[in-house]
Amino acid sequence: MKHIVAALALGVSVYACLWTSVAYAQTNELGAWEEIEARGVNQDVYFHAWGGDPQINRYIQWVAEQVKQQYQITLHHVKLTDTGEAVSRVLAEKSASNHHNGKVDLVWINGENFAAMAKHQLLAPNWVAQLPHFALTDPDNNPAMSRDFGVPTQGMEAPWGKAALTFYYDSLLTQTPPQTLQQLSLWAKQHPGRFSYPKPPDFLAMSFLKYALIALNNSQPDAIKNRLYQPANAQSQALLLPPLWQYLDDLHPNLWRKGQHFMSSGLALRRLMGDGELALAFTFSAAEVPAAVARFDLPDSTRSYRMRDGSLSNIHFVAIPYNAAHTNSAKLVVNFLLSPKAQAKKQQANVWGDTSVIALSQLPAKQQKWFEPPALSHPSANIANQDSSPALSEPHPSWTKVIATQWLQRYGVMR
Amino acid sequence: MITAKSGFNTLVRSSPYLMMALLVLPVMGGLIAVVLPAFGWFPVLGHTQFNVSGFVDLWHTPGIGYMALLSVSTSFISTLLAFVITILILGSYFTSPWLGYIQRLLGPILVIPHAAAAIAIGFLITPSGMFSRLVSPWLSGWDSPPDWLFPHDAMGLSIILGLTLKELPFLLLMALGVLAQPELGHTLRAQHRVALSLGYCPMTAFFKVVLPSLYPFLRLPILAVLAYASASVEIPLILGPNSPPTLAVAIMQWFHDVDLSLRIKASAGAIVQIALTLLLLLGWWLAEKLINKLSQSMLVNGKREYAGAIMQNITHVMTLVMLTIIGLALLGMVLWSFAGFWAYPDLLSQTFVGQHWQSALQQMHTPLLDTVLIGVCATGLAIVLTLLTLESEQQTSKATSRLTSVIIYLPLLIPSIAFLFGLVWVLEQVNSHHTFINVVLAHLLFVLPYVFLSLASSYRRLDPRFSHVAASLGASQAKIFWQIKLPMLLAPIFIAAALGLAISFSQYLPTLLAGGGRINTITTEAVTLANGASRRTSAVYALVQMLLPALGFLLAWALPKMLLTHRD
Amino acid sequence: MQTHEQTTAASSNTSSLVIEQLTLKRQQQLLLSLNETIVGGDILTIMGPSGSGKSTLLNWLTGMLPKGFSATGNLYLNGQLITDTASHMRRIGLLYQDPLLFPHLTVAGNISFAMPAGAKAQRQADISQALSQVGLAGLEHRSPQSLSGGQQARVALLRVLLSQPKAILLDEPFSKLDSQLRQETRQLVFEQIRQHKLPAIMVTHDQSDAEAAQGKIISLF
Repeated sequence: MKHIVAALALGVSVYACLWTSVAYAQTNELGAWEEIEARGVNQDVYFHAWGGDPQINRYIQWVAEQVKQQYQITLHHVKLTDTGEAVSRVLAEKSASNHHNGKVDLVWINGENFAAMAKHQLLAPNWVAQLPHFALTDPDNNPAMSRDFGVPTQGMEAPWGKAALTFYYDSLLTQTPPQTLQQLSLWAKQHPGRFSYPKPPDFLAMSFLKYALIALNNSQPDAIKNRLYQPANAQSQALLLPPLWQYLDDLHPNLWRKGQHFMSSGLALRRLMGDGELALAFTFSAAEVPAAVARFDLPDSTRSYRMRDGSLSNIHFVAIPYNAAHTNSAKLVVNFLLSPKAQAKKQQANVWGDTSVIALSQLPAKQQKWFEPPALSHPSANIANQDSSPALSEPHPSWTKVIATQWLQRYGVMR
Repeated sequence: MITAKSGFNTLVRSSPYLMMALLVLPVMGGLIAVVLPAFGWFPVLGHTQFNVSGFVDLWHTPGIGYMALLSVSTSFISTLLAFVITILILGSYFTSPWLGYIQRLLGPILVIPHAAAAIAIGFLITPSGMFSRLVSPWLSGWDSPPDWLFPHDAMGLSIILGLTLKELPFLLLMALGVLAQPELGHTLRAQHRVALSLGYCPMTAFFKVVLPSLYPFLRLPILAVLAYASASVEIPLILGPNSPPTLAVAIMQWFHDVDLSLRIKASAGAIVQIALTLLLLLGWWLAEKLINKLSQSMLVNGKREYAGAIMQNITHVMTLVMLTIIGLALLGMVLWSFAGFWAYPDLLSQTFVGQHWQSALQQMHTPLLDTVLIGVCATGLAIVLTLLTLESEQQTSKATSRLTSVIIYLPLLIPSIAFLFGLVWVLEQVNSHHTFINVVLAHLLFVLPYVFLSLASSYRRLDPRFSHVAASLGASQAKIFWQIKLPMLLAPIFIAAALGLAISFSQYLPTLLAGGGRINTITTEAVTLANGASRRTSAVYALVQMLLPALGFLLAWALPKMLLTHRD
Repeated sequence: MQTHEQTTAASSNTSSLVIEQLTLKRQQQLLLSLNETIVGGDILTIMGPSGSGKSTLLNWLTGMLPKGFSATGNLYLNGQLITDTASHMRRIGLLYQDPLLFPHLTVAGNISFAMPAGAKAQRQADISQALSQVGLAGLEHRSPQSLSGGQQARVALLRVLLSQPKAILLDEPFSKLDSQLRQETRQLVFEQIRQHKLPAIMVTHDQSDAEAAQGKIISLF
């Protein structure tokens, strides 16, 4: 009985919060921002963000220095191995009725993690439009900025960057890397054991499988193809998934370790490339390739390119949990992340190389110049086919779980 | 001894209860917080009915049987191997100065955190690792790394290798610690000599005379090792297979999964993990009884020689192989941390650079500082509690009860994966938002038992006549404690502190969970990086992880000497 | 089988322990030099304060000379050169001041441990007979810790004798016993040594022990 009362109380309070914040945003946007600035300065912000890449970690360190200068905010980068850790933390707090003093102030998120948090109402809604810099993304003409894997974001998360699936190879081991998914299968037959992908549900693994799913169904009629962008159901699965499993059945025997073992982490692909165990791999942050060459983690003969039959592309976001202790400060940080200065810096290949979400048309010419690439860089910084590779949008997030579950049933346990 | 009432004495008398509370409450609270969701009670997701759906889900998980089997087999085989090698080494070198050399060579391995050891072994046995480079291409003909199965092999052989190498020094040093006890050690060595004079070959003499008296002292450490191995996360995560992984690793992944309903299954898994661990402990205990029974007649059958020479040769080879593995693994790590591009199958990198150390050290200072701070706080607390508890034991002239000794071992015997997740929830309930304190308390759970173990024997062995003399001279209990006992125990206290620091430095799960990811230590960073992209950065972190505890032991060794010479 | 032949040799009249031109050194410093022949049934007594090299001599005789010590000279047992034979192959029994009974074995187990391998029933009969000879009948299945000091000393003696040694070394064997018990035990040990015609060396600092041995006495200083 007590729990029912508690649940009711929770429901009412969440609803009330929703209502007040909506009303708030509508009535007095500019005045509200000044108030947020006044309240947000001089506090700590705990930014839960995947911490597996030294380049990205260094960039977040730079952001911390900047917000310290600007707002006296102390930004702590809580390095996650998996964004799911932040999701379960907020959930644990909700279960303990900690509705105001959460430990997560800001979280780097997209796709099914976002879908899960939204489903359990773990995110603060309708705050993104308050940010002065959000307008720079030109959201009215760029609907992608308020959709995460096709799911409307409802102001729960602000876009941070864009990425596309990029392949890279060791040009000493193979001169002609595969240009399409079908060629990849043939290439693997000729180079057995020199290609692999991580184990689902790793983010990079799911990206590869989704790319394969889209590419393999490319020749299907539009009515069937478009079901990829709607919630998965039994019928659409029966229509779309069989070509994927057929392809994988064919591909796996020619993979690294004969497809008997898949690395748990997508990052391990780069290590295996460095070790010379793989000759071909892929990444979502293309700029890590030249950076890794500079750190000797990849051979000098590494080159990057995009597949001709399309590159899976998505936007990644930052969100504020419903119970964050420092909501206002978190908003100030997000607004800074969306500033032309921060976005331009992030796009530099030697910093992070993550494509900006700002619509350059919204900026004065002087600021547009900040986004131009530097002249000198390693050959792997020049991505072949960048313009000729069509961008493939992310399928509906429900597909991620469907593919991962069925993959694990088929290939997850060795026979 | 009759003592007067004083503030000090009250503090001393209450400290055992405080220590028990600090050990029992978190473990029990954590367990309850895992049992409830395991049986379906998870209000956040609207589950307020008790049922067994979590266990049903668990049962239907593909490969669940294999996961359990992998956990059981790797932990049992590795513990057995470590134990057998320990007694073979003891038996072969019992009267030889080599025992001391081996102890000195293996000692440092003890303080290497599991994660760092796993990373080092992984570097060694990976297809492009040192082993493969050593034989390529002149012997193997490999120009590119072979597509072989280590590490991450499905049978868990890599896990067994990692666990065995990590457990062996612990058991060996425990055994040597027993033999170093003046009276017992002297008696055992004399009995060994008696057996030799009765015509027993040294190996047989060890097995028939020394081992039966030595084993009871090793039982608890062995069981602790077995329990730890059955539910450890670091080594299986870094060296183990993932299709499927060991049960403990799977539980951790379910707890962290985006799909929150998996937490019910994870909790059920934690219960199964406890059952598996208990089963293993029981199995070991039964096997011990059985072997004891079967060997009784062998002990007195008068047979003096069981291929002792062959066994001794096997032990020589095994010891050599082990030391080579450890040496190569460490060498490999050092080489990687300085390597420029290192093409296969070159034995050495083309260039050596300092940039990996430079850039890692730049990013490392916060985790480094946190690691040391947490270690110092947890160890300091543990030392104070241990000393006060031991003092209370002497003041009340009551030896620590059996129950108390079991409780001290509790956090070592119950799989931490089972109660730590619950502990996080409990900390949420008591609204403890001081992350740093939470982490220190979580570390204390694991630091305290080792510090207590390490200090107890020296404290109890201290000749009581010193206190009696001091008391007869009119010194209060507090004065005796501060001015007689502590100075006399300075060296063991420093060693216990170094051990406590080493244990704290190596904690992965407690830091990750109690810290909610907000606090990064060198160990959490090293595990994160172990599965990551750069061998070079990973090597740097693993080496720093090894250097930290080594530094602690160096200080523990040097400081008492400096303090004592200072006094002259 | 070989053990049996040796046993018969040991109990015959020809048994002897010969120390030939022994010099014992610690680092480079001379500890003692000795040249002795002990016939079966005789007891050679070595007396001297601690540090005089008594225990080093015993260690050399049993082949357990620690690091830092060196020796020249030879040791013959029943005419056989055993200077470089491994400790456990020498068949020289040792009796310490502590009985050093194995706590994990019963009284019978301790003795049986020392006996040569053989038929179980015969061994058990031998043990019972030996125990009753020294007044310990019926104590086979007691644990050694439950025995008195004198009883433990007698079990330790039986353990050495039933291992059928070819010579016996006594390292201050009675120093832990009180005077009444000391005399009784001493008498029993010396009787058994003479009965078995074993060459024996006793190390002691007790004058009465030395006199009771009725053999040659060497004093070390």
